[in-house]
Amino acid sequence: MECPEGVLLLLSFTAIFFSCEHTVPELEAQLAAMRKKAADALPGSSWSPFDINPNLPPERADIVIIGGGVMGWSIAYWLKQKERVREGVKVIVVERDLTYSQASTVLSAGGIRQQFSLPENIHLSLASADFMRNINEHLGVLNEDPVDLQFNQSGYLFLASEEVAHIMEENYSTQRQVGAKVTLLSPTQLKEKFPWINTDGVALASYGLENEGWFDPWSLLNAFRRKAMSMGVIQCCGEVTDFKYTVSMMTSPGGDPVVYKRINSVKVQMPKGLEYQMVECAIVVNAAGAFSGKLAEMLGISSNPKDTIAGTPVPVEPRKRYIYVVHCPDGPGLDTPFLIDYSGMYFRREGLGGNYITGASPKEADEPDTSNLEVDHQFFEDSVWPRLAYRVPAFEKLKVTSAWAGFYDYNTFDQNGIIGDHPVINNMYFATGFSGHGLQQSPAAGRAVAELILDGNFKTLDMRGLGFRRIMAQEPILERNIL
Amino acid sequence: MLKILIPTLLLIPTSWLAKAKWLWPTTLLHSFIMTLFSLAWLKNTSETNWSTLNPYIATDPLSSPLLTLTCWLLPLMILASQDHLAQDPLVRQRIYITLLVTLQLSLIMAFAATELTMFYVMFETTLIPTLILITRWGNQMERLNAGTYFLFYTLATSLPLLITLLALQNKTGTLSLLIIQLLGPIPISPSVNIIWWTTSLLAFLVKMPLYGVHLWLPKAHVEAPIAGSMSLAAVLLKLGGYGMMRMMLILSPLAKELCYPFIILALWGVLMTSSICLRQTDLKSLIAYSSVSHMVLVAAAILIQTPWGLTGALILMIAHGLTSSALFCLPNTNYERTHSRTMILTRGSQMILPLMATWWLITCLANLALPPLPNLMGELIIISALLGWSTWTIIFTGAGALITRTYSLYMYLMTQRGPVPNHMISMNPSTSREHLLLTLHLLPLLLLVFKPTTIWGSAY
Repeated sequence: MECPEGVLLLLSFTAIFFSCEHTVPELEAQLAAMRKKAADALPGSSWSPFDINPNLPPERADIVIIGGGVMGWSIAYWLKQKERVREGVKVIVVERDLTYSQASTVLSAGGIRQQFSLPENIHLSLASADFMRNINEHLGVLNEDPVDLQFNQSGYLFLASEEVAHIMEENYSTQRQVGAKVTLLSPTQLKEKFPWINTDGVALASYGLENEGWFDPWSLLNAFRRKAMSMGVIQCCGEVTDFKYTVSMMTSPGGDPVVYKRINSVKVQMPKGLEYQMVECAIVVNAAGAFSGKLAEMLGISSNPKDTIAGTPVPVEPRKRYIYVVHCPDGPGLDTPFLIDYSGMYFRREGLGGNYITGASPKEADEPDTSNLEVDHQFFEDSVWPRLAYRVPAFEKLKVTSAWAGFYDYNTFDQNGIIGDHPVINNMYFATGFSGHGLQQSPAAGRAVAELILDGNFKTLDMRGLGFRRIMAQEPILERNIL
Repeated sequence: MLKILIPTLLLIPTSWLAKAKWLWPTTLLHSFIMTLFSLAWLKNTSETNWSTLNPYIATDPLSSPLLTLTCWLLPLMILASQDHLAQDPLVRQRIYITLLVTLQLSLIMAFAATELTMFYVMFETTLIPTLILITRWGNQMERLNAGTYFLFYTLATSLPLLITLLALQNKTGTLSLLIIQLLGPIPISPSVNIIWWTTSLLAFLVKMPLYGVHLWLPKAHVEAPIAGSMSLAAVLLKLGGYGMMRMMLILSPLAKELCYPFIILALWGVLMTSSICLRQTDLKSLIAYSSVSHMVLVAAAILIQTPWGLTGALILMIAHGLTSSALFCLPNTNYERTHSRTMILTRGSQMILPLMATWWLITCLANLALPPLPNLMGELIIISALLGWSTWTIIFTGAGALITRTYSLYMYLMTQRGPVPNHMISMNPSTSREHLLLTLHLLPLLLLVFKPTTIWGSAY
């Protein structure tokens, strides 16, 4: 016997079922919210009753890297690469400006060359070029896009006049000995290879055949950062304003008092605010670039007399350099190398649309003011364009499309990088003062610092020549090929 | 007993009334004198095994070594905390010492209790000062998490213990240990046998800790300040062992089948935690897991309820207490200099602090159970007792012992040998306070080689 009530019931259930379909997504959303709430309540979630600023760095870390440019992130990456077990060392990178508006890394022309006169520099650049050619092996992260540095291996072309040609020849033999692939060109060969060059005044040219060129610094920085953060490095946006250190007074064998300082904690101040966190740490790495000297002064180094060991300053200061982007439709072709003239002018191709990047180093006496990053266009008119037009006649007709300025972390002592630990500050390592060639040496320099920290000694490349010893002993190792 | 309890209690006003300059020397001296008095407990003259007997407090050969260990540790904790508390304001220093003394008081009364109720109350009371020590004076943000784990693991299992004790009082009319040991098997209805057995012992198994419920220990030990770590490792874990030994008298007839899963967990625990030690990056974490691996062996020995098992358990508890506490003091000396506990960054210390390297060597050798130290005696007796229980346990205990020696040597070689990192070349030399601290840890251990019967417990 059919029961009409049963049929009615069945119909009503079906009706409810079909009307429920409209609210199922809402139910799912509610269910997800409940699940999230439950997960927060269970142990293992990061909920805490104390409403602390989540941007503060942790209260303690093993290694604090001050400076989040390419050098800082390279060191962070290599430290994580070399720790033998997962979470072997706790590394945090402190960077005060995550937009990198004043950082030397992203404002750089991005060139890489092995044409140095110092073997250490050549080694560093060669190892870095090798690193960058196999960048995805090193910095590739699973499930993320591969790294594309846009590494144009167009080579560097150095032009030498009569007076400095012998230096170029000596450099050439050093470079070949170390393993750089460089060749010397006479003016006629030069004219043959690059017909757009005006070879007046050029006695000799040195051209890099491999591992030289330019790349995108922003990609390298981001690649290092992404990989290091995937390996567990903590990024903190803040500014280091102070150090807390203990002082121990000792006497050297000669009888002079020496004051050793050991950093106990780093005061990290939050940007745009009064909050700060004292990060207790074992090791501090100074990779602050142009501002490394100012950072080291917080430790009171400059208050000691200059000629004592304790008074060894960190001779790094910012120097402003301009880069101008010019458009010249009839300019040199796509095989234009990064040309560097003996007068100090340089230019390179940028992109495929007839744009070039150019600039020049100002004389020692006319160093621009470093309080801001304003561009002096008169400098281009006065110093850069004449030399540019002289060397490459096609550049007589060009238009400046844009320009920017960046800081060199200029080592006033001998314009070469400082890699190593300070004689009196026991636990501060330095990787700064590269004076314009830091970006290209960053992968290898990062590895050197990581080896120094974790292995106690340099393992792959011997960078003892770039340590503080030369500054203490006042023996500059001058690079004869600085832009 | 009162001659120890009253001075301990009065150490609290001492710490509040002493002048700032004399705070630490006074409390240190005071606690040392109490320690010397407490050595008198080690002599058991009574035939019934219970000495210093009164209705509430008594000592017997099982509890007197643990009591002496507790009293011995207070001066050592005060000595160890002096340096890192020097920057704290005076009031906080006084509070710290008060907390240590409160912990000490509750521990003495717990070990000396004759009534299981008082034991339970004191067992719970020890949680409070330890929690405050961990969460207030610990070093990192994770200490809040650590405190929570520590508190709730213990509470969740000890509240059922309270119920069991109340039910026991109902059934037998008494909870006095003196009487309960003379009662026959307790008539419990067979349906609640297992629950009864589990709830009585779970609290102590968590405290010991047993392998499956050991998660609170690495957290609490690593995040605690040095005095907290020392007292946790040396004494609080032994509370669990002691409680188990007392409770199992009451539960005897049930133990033969019900202990099986826990013994298996304990044996696996030896292997697992020792292996974890080999992969640790944080020194304190390594020592915490090493504590777990020794204490699960003690847990297994107590669960099999043989005279050799109980003897071995007590010997290993005392020896481990001293060794583990010394092992926590050693990386603390490193931490106070370099502010890092990571093993990669604190290497090659033998070149810089050679005498400290001696203490490292002796302590690591003690940890790996080198003869003739009591660590080996305890382990050997436990392994033999377990072998008697079942031949197959030798696989676990043998492999576990092998890995124990491996990680102890690994710890020694990583911290002492190898190239000296640049940032450690100029460090402050070891202070005599640190040397005294470690000597006072290792001296009893060496003296026990000559008179081991002091810590053999009631089975001797």
